[in-house]
Amino acid sequence: MNKKTIATHIEKTTLIGQRVRKPDAADKSTGKTRYINDLVLPQMLYGKILHAGRPHAQIVSIDTTAAEQLPGVHGVLTGKDVAGLKFGFVRDNVALKETVRCEHDEVAAVAAETEEIASQALGLIKVEYKDLPGVFSPEDGRREDAPLIRGDFPGNKSLHFAFEHGDLTAAEAESDIIVDNVFKVHHVTHCCMGTSCAIADFDNNGKLTIYSQTQYPYNYKMDLAPALGMHPGDIRVIQPPVGGAFGSKLDVYPYEPIAALLAKKTGRPVKVLYTREEEFKSAPTRQPAVIHMRTGCKKDGTLTFRSADVLLDNGAYTSWGPTIPVVMMRTVSGHYRVPVIAYNAQAIYTNNPYAGSFRGYGNVQTTFATAQQIDMLAEQLDMDPIEFRLMNAQKPGERTPQQAFLRECALDKCLTTAADATDFVTRQKEYGLLRNSDSRYKKGIGIASSIHNAGGAKIHKSDGCGTMLKVDDYARATLITGASEIGQGIDTVISLIVAEELGIPVEHVTLMNNDSDLAPWDVGVHASRTTFIAGEGARRAAVKARQQILNAASTFAEISADELDLRDGFVVRDKEGSIVIKLEKLLRQMHFQPEPELVMVTDYYEPNSEPEGADHISNMSAAYSHAVHIAEITVDTWTGEIKVDKITSAQDVGRVISRAGLEGQTEGGIAIGLGYALTEDMQLEDGMLKNPCFRDYKVITAPEMPELDLHFIEDGCAEGPYGAKGAAELPTIVIAPAIANAFYNATGVRILSTPLSPEKVVRALILAQQADVSSSDSMATAAVS
Amino acid sequence: MSEITNYLSPCSLDDAVRALADGDVTVLCGGTDLMPQMEAGQREYASTLMNIRRIEGLAEITLTGDTCRIGALTTVSEILTSQLLDEVAPVLVAAADQFASDQLRNAASIGGNICNASPAGDMIIPLLLLNAVVELASWQDGAIQTRLISLHEFFKAPGKTVRQNNELFAAVLFDKPPPGFVAHFCKPGPRPALEIATVSIGIGGVLEDGVFSDVRAAMGAVAPTPIRARRVETTLEGLPLNADNIRAASVSAGEDATPIDDVRASSWYRDHLVRVLTKEVLNDVLENTN
Repeated sequence: MNKKTIATHIEKTTLIGQRVRKPDAADKSTGKTRYINDLVLPQMLYGKILHAGRPHAQIVSIDTTAAEQLPGVHGVLTGKDVAGLKFGFVRDNVALKETVRCEHDEVAAVAAETEEIASQALGLIKVEYKDLPGVFSPEDGRREDAPLIRGDFPGNKSLHFAFEHGDLTAAEAESDIIVDNVFKVHHVTHCCMGTSCAIADFDNNGKLTIYSQTQYPYNYKMDLAPALGMHPGDIRVIQPPVGGAFGSKLDVYPYEPIAALLAKKTGRPVKVLYTREEEFKSAPTRQPAVIHMRTGCKKDGTLTFRSADVLLDNGAYTSWGPTIPVVMMRTVSGHYRVPVIAYNAQAIYTNNPYAGSFRGYGNVQTTFATAQQIDMLAEQLDMDPIEFRLMNAQKPGERTPQQAFLRECALDKCLTTAADATDFVTRQKEYGLLRNSDSRYKKGIGIASSIHNAGGAKIHKSDGCGTMLKVDDYARATLITGASEIGQGIDTVISLIVAEELGIPVEHVTLMNNDSDLAPWDVGVHASRTTFIAGEGARRAAVKARQQILNAASTFAEISADELDLRDGFVVRDKEGSIVIKLEKLLRQMHFQPEPELVMVTDYYEPNSEPEGADHISNMSAAYSHAVHIAEITVDTWTGEIKVDKITSAQDVGRVISRAGLEGQTEGGIAIGLGYALTEDMQLEDGMLKNPCFRDYKVITAPEMPELDLHFIEDGCAEGPYGAKGAAELPTIVIAPAIANAFYNATGVRILSTPLSPEKVVRALILAQQADVSSSDSMATAAVS
Repeated sequence: MSEITNYLSPCSLDDAVRALADGDVTVLCGGTDLMPQMEAGQREYASTLMNIRRIEGLAEITLTGDTCRIGALTTVSEILTSQLLDEVAPVLVAAADQFASDQLRNAASIGGNICNASPAGDMIIPLLLLNAVVELASWQDGAIQTRLISLHEFFKAPGKTVRQNNELFAAVLFDKPPPGFVAHFCKPGPRPALEIATVSIGIGGVLEDGVFSDVRAAMGAVAPTPIRARRVETTLEGLPLNADNIRAASVSAGEDATPIDDVRASSWYRDHLVRVLTKEVLNDVLENTN
């Protein structure tokens, strides 16, 4: 055996921005991870749900006798069992229905010994329906003669949001150019690899333990309680590893109270696990919308106003989806320096699947409109497209009309970085000149940008996160945080931060964050907030622990704490790096001395932001950031296929913490964005989903991923951990309009609706050709909705 | 709910066809079509499930004289990597390269792909170009009997073939195409893998001194079954393969196709695609023979 040489000096290094392995990577890639879908509790029953399979109907009668008598069935529930137990954002939902308002509506539920028996029992339930005329688009839903979906919401009107700033009439009058378009964005869904699942178990004191995929355990308790007629305090939430969430688990959905109600009825644990078909039909969607947007500017390129009239498809119930106009509003009012704003958004109840939150949360929809209109204006002005954007880009310290404080603002750097990396201006000109050639394949390049909250979003009274940290006698750290891990990588970020402050290996940090009885308060994984807020909480807790350790070391070594540092499991002299004592030895000495102390600290971090408020005038996030995407595409004008050759991204991330994690988030965000732009489409016919399978609902797979060139702008941030900003959502937000703009560059044709599917592309090109032939103006372009 | 009461896994063709003769058998090979169809409730299991994967001698690709024979159990991956097929019928290998995904190619069999009788079946189009015939085996009068039927007469409707319940699909056979025969297969779609054909098209023939002869054309997902595109064949037969005739063939392709609207595309788009893809395939033929 070689003798180990023990270093006497340790250099100062940093983990921040390094590539570290995600703690669960080995288990996930080898199949060792036990997901919630794999969990089986002793005595567990299987719950199955009978879905209506029709969009709008009265339930005339329901007979569950045969199902109840089937051997192996332990409980059957119908709407009458849950009467009055309303839940949801506006309390318009109930776990089991007496009126059907969408295809997947839950009509009855069964708990049985096996999944097979439960399925068989569903087949024995006899339901008589009286079908009702339905509403399948928000445009139809707001018509005076439209069928009323719910008596308590006249005109089928769900949530409404408005914001006005400045004199619109005057701003229109002083505009030299106004672009005016109607954009239409469609239904897509999250497609988590792990289908929806909940396991509920009551103890004999009436306390519910629910194993859940939720990404917001604290508010989840509050939202689940009314569906069960319980006090939120009597609910314990355990979060086993999940196969994705992307916003889809930011609410309570009927299958969760159903699992709990079945558990209560049977006195046994009950698991409800969706099939893939159920998942497609029942999981929330991204909110479809019709966006009438107008943007004006002066001849010199100065933006004058932006107005947006947004009509949203609420679906049959109000989940978090219909609150997305709050985020849409921030982009309409705050992206580029626009002095005058008029924004109006109305969600309309329909008999379609209902929308929830989805990565990008409204901003995906708005940016499809704003980024295309900015592109149109640049062209009509005949200005350098980057110059035009730069002259309207805000500078650090500016405030938007809604009072978002852009303390750090790197929009200009994002624009120039992406443009320089692609030689954007030259290539755009080149491709534009080739667009009328006879060639079957046409190349295009397009740019899009957006803004997003990057320091949390104070949509609740609190946007904070609690943290507890202990460092044990073996110099192993355990951090308990309210922040959930749903695959986004907060486990890596927090381990890395704690390791950085305590000078220990990343692998010596354990994260506990999956039990609501253990972990302190957090608002949940959403709004690109977790690295910023839970990361900062972890940093603050780790700094406190570090100080306690350094103070003890100072006493032990009789050296001022200021002159000491923690590196590689040792206490060292900061300047020279010379070893003072091994960290675990010091920790044991602290513990076993006459006045013993353990290293156990807590922190509660509330970001410096203001609640959104009813007037929507507030600095609702502690930081904001921008991203610019440039898409290079090849259009097959014969088949209409768009091949994305390359995406260049420049994003203000403040500072990179976990490099591999950030790259993964960006690449994953781009994949979701590409699916939205090109291939994913929930095909609904009168509220019924026609493609509830991966064969016909086409997510982007690995071979379609384009070449990626990712640039992270690291100008820091006054408040985030080490200067980091939230970064998760922007990559999904800016991709579709970048492709739409590239398509215009390639063909001279505008497509104003998602997705840019091959068939839609061919239709648009043929329409434009016909318009060209019939028009004397050879420059005529066609826009297709 | 149908229940399987009997599971068989015969090792010889003899045993398999005897079991079929007793009736009420669901045949399982790769299972890549069978399993999802069962899950979706589109089919019901018969009381006997017979796995034919262990039958010896049914997974071979052979050339005897001028006749090439592909056993029913041959997987799409085996077709994709077959050196023999790459020489004799490269168009079949090209189609295998666009078939589903690696995992599915490893499991899916040629027999299953043909018997599933999907109008969009990827392997069927090149086999139609090769004038393939299907060999069906059955147990009659105490011995195995086989009959041959031309592939283009094999299909009746989506999911329906002329195969009788007592018959087992044993092999697909075709004669080595004539010297100078060149064929191309094309299936569009935004995804290079895991794409069910919106339409697919294959055209082949002998191009000699600029004249196109022995023309064979086939199309998928434009009719209730995969079809031979007879109008395209007539339009091109014996004529120079030039821009005018390619344009005419593209029009004929539109006449041969009778597509429907479904979740994957409208009939309008399918009609458009067969026209443009006919041009594409013929241009490929031209480029590769010049």
